[in-house]
Amino acid sequence: MTKPTDLVQGTLDLLILKTIALEPMHGWAIAQRIRSVSNNVLQVNQGALYPALHRLEQQAWIQAKWGESENNRRAKYYSLTRAGQKYLKSEESNWERLSSAIGLVLKTV
Amino acid sequence: MRWVQSVSNRLRSLFRKDSVERELGSELRFHLERQVEENLAAGMTPQEARRAAVREFGGVEQVKEECRDTRRVSFLETLLQDLRYGARMLRKNPGFTVIAVLILALGIGANTAIFSMVNALLLHPYSFPNLDSLVRVWETRGMEEGFDARSVAPADAADLFSGTDVFQNLATYRDQTFNLSREGNVEPIFGESVSAGFFDVLGKGPRLGRGFVQTEEQPGFERVAILGYGLWQRRFGGDPGILGKTIKLNGRDHSVVGIMPPKFSYPVPSELWVPLALSPAEKADRAQLTTMALGRLKPGVTADKANAALASYARRLEQEFPKTNSGRSATALQLRKELYLYSLPLFSLLQIAAVFVLLLACANLANLMFTRMLGRQKEIAMRTALGAGPRRLAQLFVSETLLLSLLAGAAAVSVSFWSVRLLRTSISVEWTKWVPGWDGIQVDSSVLGLTILLAVAVGLLFGFATVLHTGRVSLGQSLKESGPGSLTRSRARLRSVLVVAQVIFALVLLVCAGLTIQGFVRLASMYEGFQPGSVLDAEIGLPKNTYSDGKKITSFYQQLVHSASALAGVKEVALATNLPASNVNNDMTLFTIEGRPATKANETPSADLLIASPDYFPALRIPLMAGRLFSESDNAVVERVTIISRSMADRFWPGENVLGKRIKLGAADSNDPWMKVVGVVGDIRQNWWNPAARPTIYTSFLQSPQSGMFVMLRVESNASSYAAPLRDVVRQMDAGVALVAVETLKTQVVDSIGIIRILGILMGVFGLVALMLSSVGVYGVLSESVAQRTRELGIRLALGAHPRDLMKLVLGQALKLTGIGLVIAVPISFAVSRVMANLIFGIVAADFAVVAGFTLLLVAVALIAGYFPARRATRVDPLIALRYE
Repeated sequence: MTKPTDLVQGTLDLLILKTIALEPMHGWAIAQRIRSVSNNVLQVNQGALYPALHRLEQQAWIQAKWGESENNRRAKYYSLTRAGQKYLKSEESNWERLSSAIGLVLKTV
Repeated sequence: MRWVQSVSNRLRSLFRKDSVERELGSELRFHLERQVEENLAAGMTPQEARRAAVREFGGVEQVKEECRDTRRVSFLETLLQDLRYGARMLRKNPGFTVIAVLILALGIGANTAIFSMVNALLLHPYSFPNLDSLVRVWETRGMEEGFDARSVAPADAADLFSGTDVFQNLATYRDQTFNLSREGNVEPIFGESVSAGFFDVLGKGPRLGRGFVQTEEQPGFERVAILGYGLWQRRFGGDPGILGKTIKLNGRDHSVVGIMPPKFSYPVPSELWVPLALSPAEKADRAQLTTMALGRLKPGVTADKANAALASYARRLEQEFPKTNSGRSATALQLRKELYLYSLPLFSLLQIAAVFVLLLACANLANLMFTRMLGRQKEIAMRTALGAGPRRLAQLFVSETLLLSLLAGAAAVSVSFWSVRLLRTSISVEWTKWVPGWDGIQVDSSVLGLTILLAVAVGLLFGFATVLHTGRVSLGQSLKESGPGSLTRSRARLRSVLVVAQVIFALVLLVCAGLTIQGFVRLASMYEGFQPGSVLDAEIGLPKNTYSDGKKITSFYQQLVHSASALAGVKEVALATNLPASNVNNDMTLFTIEGRPATKANETPSADLLIASPDYFPALRIPLMAGRLFSESDNAVVERVTIISRSMADRFWPGENVLGKRIKLGAADSNDPWMKVVGVVGDIRQNWWNPAARPTIYTSFLQSPQSGMFVMLRVESNASSYAAPLRDVVRQMDAGVALVAVETLKTQVVDSIGIIRILGILMGVFGLVALMLSSVGVYGVLSESVAQRTRELGIRLALGAHPRDLMKLVLGQALKLTGIGLVIAVPISFAVSRVMANLIFGIVAADFAVVAGFTLLLVAVALIAGYFPARRATRVDPLIALRYE
């Protein structure tokens, strides 16, 4: 398996936040969801996912809660905090600005 | 509230490591197992599914470690890093560090020293449990009762306790000086006769042995004594075997039943306690206020409530016993507050002044910091460019300034250990033993706490001020600039404001200092009128059992005067019931003028009463204004005579000839004999807290003998050498009589106003610090301004400006800054000096000349501080200046 597209740190945060904005999810589901939504382009490495989750939790953008998983086991579910929701919005608009700027550069030069 | 969450998360990782670790393990395990399930569903064999999942996951331990990393309490680590960096910065600039630490240490140290006094004397004067519920109780007689005259009639005390519902317990006591004779020598001991409940009320019992019991309050059963710890150590070598043994007090055997713990002394400076055994007649007495009272309030009863209850009960007593109690009320005051009357204004002044010194130091240091920040602009810009956010920068600055202020706090504390001891020992024990809590002046935990609090507050303040200040630094501009950082207009204004503030603080402090010192000098010179250097004084208390009547007392003192006068070099020997500057108020008495009886009991006039011998007035250089002094023939058998003070004559017989008028002590119905006024003498100042001349009645000791007297020897020279001869004289007359506190009147005067001297010295130090700091402030701002304007000055010179013009320009700036400060400070100083004159009445008087003098001084200091930068301005070389970038 080739190394999946390296995700810039900030980008992974954005993806995680966006993914759990819909409903609380555990780590495995987050990775699955990102992969399937991006048509297998974005493969989140566990080695990057969990540190990112823990960092976001430390910064209180997201909060964790232990709950029952789909296969009836205890899993750690992550969800956005109120501050995280705001943070997500501002990061989304940042991203859009950046990507459209890059797009402009790529088109014109 | 994100940060709350964040901090609590961090704390959880820090302190609940185990459970966090367990959760991490099960979270990752869940992931693996879920992946295995997924793989199984995709059709792999169990073994394959497991292996694939592990492979995909990567190193579990590695992931764990990375997760732990994110959870580490990183701000603690960066804080340490910042502190190390800050320490390095401070070490690199030793000049700045030393000056900044010194300035702050002065400001913080001033507060530490003063607070240690406030803490000991005002907040914790006694170490009794539940101090707030201890109250002094006394009766008032419609006249201004002195501090020493707060007493109650024994029968009233009993009624006030049983008739009101506010006291848990009430003890009565009476000062008494004991002659303790042991192995042939007699030592006078300050002691107390106390009711049996005395120690219970205070909440402190003997360390060894027992307290007094009810039966020992019966006359005949009172021959027991409790020793103070100090006395026990000093006279009995700390021997516990003394319990149950007998000691001789005033010639009578008393058996020792208890030893008090160290440092117990109430009322100060007592070292010995015996039961107060009142005869039935004394117990029933309402006429005379002969005992003092101390009450323990019931839980939940405030002093105000107790006061209301006492006042209303006193009204009942008035109706019930109109003959003795009319015009009398009762009042209670928290024991802690008893000394507030005199000391609160003094210490408030000092504490406020100390706060001003700190503010001045802060203003000064702020200027210094901002200058330094100017030099660091590039560093800050670099940090910003490298990605340090405002928060990271703030943390850096705050840790630097905190380090600085904590260093200053440490310096202040270490100096304060020494300065506080100096403060405590600068007044002789003879005086300070009368001040409750004086020995408690020390750097204790609350003083340390305050110091640390101040240091941290100042550090944070400066840190954040610096952050705000540098927040406006423009990144690009600072990096581009190659010369010294530019002084922006707003920064220059801020620095000028700080200088103006320093001038204001300095003038106010200087004026306060000047007025205090002036007050001290005035007070000291007032006492100098007694020429106290050549007077030796001592206190004598004749034992009541051997000197039982007036005749015996009179003959003892007459013989004493006679023998002491015979000593070579003694010019006059005087006796009196009080000494000037004794810090004890004179007895107060009601009196009635013949032909002008007061219609109501509470309108009877009152005056100080002093019993004196004929030579008292010449010995103390008190001038005779009219009539004559006492003579040896004014004795017990002829008509009673009195001498009054000038202020008394002026007040009660304005414009009249008072000689030959008659007065008697007590109200209109008193049985005291009429006394003819034979002389008027000048007013004297009795104590520093009584500035106004008090109407005083002097009576002859031959006509009103008193067992306790002060003896004063006016000698030609070397007064202190007469102590031994005077002791010999007394010993030859009666070996059972002791002399107390033999010292020169000069010592007495110096000690008695020691607290005012300390006040003056401290205020003087504060004033000097203020002067120094503000001149440094003016100098600093002008130097910088000259450095900034080098180019402009060079152009001016090149265009033909005379050096004198440049001098004027810079000095003008100095004068402008100082001038603005002074314009604001002068009215404040006047207001402050008026407030001070009110607070410390009679010592400090508002004085226009002091304000004017210090205003001029500050102008002069500003000119001098401005002169050096100004001279530098005139020496600017136009060529160099123009090239200067």
